[in-house]
Amino acid sequence: MLYGLIIFIAFLLLGDFLSALLAWPVPGSVMGMLMLFAVLVIRGGISSPLKQSSQGLLPYLPLFIVPASVGIVNYMDVVREEGVLILTAMVVSLAIGIPVCGWLAQKAMSFKAGGRS
Amino acid sequence: MNLQWQQAWDAVWLSPYLGLFLTLLSFQLGLWLFRFSAQKPFLHPVMVSVVSLCALLLLTDLSFERYMDSAHMISQFLGPVIVALAIPLYENLKALRLYWLPFLLSNVLGGAITILVAVGILFFAGGSDMSVNSMWTKSITTAFALQIAPQIGGMAAIAAAIIMFTGILGALMAPTLFRWFNITQAPAQGCALGVCAHAVGTSKALEYGSEQGAFAALSMSFMGILCAFALPFLLTV
Repeated sequence: MLYGLIIFIAFLLLGDFLSALLAWPVPGSVMGMLMLFAVLVIRGGISSPLKQSSQGLLPYLPLFIVPASVGIVNYMDVVREEGVLILTAMVVSLAIGIPVCGWLAQKAMSFKAGGRS
Repeated sequence: MNLQWQQAWDAVWLSPYLGLFLTLLSFQLGLWLFRFSAQKPFLHPVMVSVVSLCALLLLTDLSFERYMDSAHMISQFLGPVIVALAIPLYENLKALRLYWLPFLLSNVLGGAITILVAVGILFFAGGSDMSVNSMWTKSITTAFALQIAPQIGGMAAIAAAIIMFTGILGALMAPTLFRWFNITQAPAQGCALGVCAHAVGTSKALEYGSEQGAFAALSMSFMGILCAFALPFLLTV
């Protein structure tokens, strides 16, 4: 557990370093993830301590976003004034987006399989 | 003996561990409810936890600032856990070998359409800049969005609320939409759920099957990476 956490934080810091160095507005964590991913691809495998740590940590990802989400209490005026509008925009976008994403993927698959639908 | 009830209560209510405790407790409660309700999307642990904490903060004199001072250490795990996503990303990669084209098409084109529709509606219906900017992040998982939203003039908390509802609504709407539009193939269902409903969609996709789950997880990460690189450059404030 500890070994993996050290690796993850090391790549996080490396990501922050690179983002700052290049002056890119990309979060250091995302840069760190891409660098770790690149290392995994180059090495062609995942060491078992690393896998254990990720399995220990990832199930709690939803928990880690809770505190920041609670921040919405400071924006109750936005919720009151624009909540319905935002919700409408969301539902319409999903009603279009889900079929379009599915349809595009299926179209591309049938194209690859020689027109089989 | 003179019992100090007020001081005793203050020791708990003003404790630096209060926010941490309440967050863990409400989340555990959410996990139980989610399990007992056979994983109803609107009883997602994050939903239960956030709503109950918001209610508590609005109804008592516990301010968000004081809550966050204590709960902050939970948020700090967000960075390392995003890095850890490289591992499932690598493990799911083999699913792409056959289907990289459908995957890319669905993510890039489909993702752009679903984001533009939502932002477009909000913009033309007169939404405030803050909510329009927060809406740009609707199709990425909250962990990424919390870090991207402030960079494009959005508000992390509003982005998080939008994403939570998008995920839940998406998971609720997807089965019906799949039936209506005849989306039957596993990679297509997975991509649609991952692009449009990110983390909640990915757990819904896993109910369909492991192939759907892999494509949903890949789509979720890919959309996050794509938006992390594209949005700050397109929308610098």
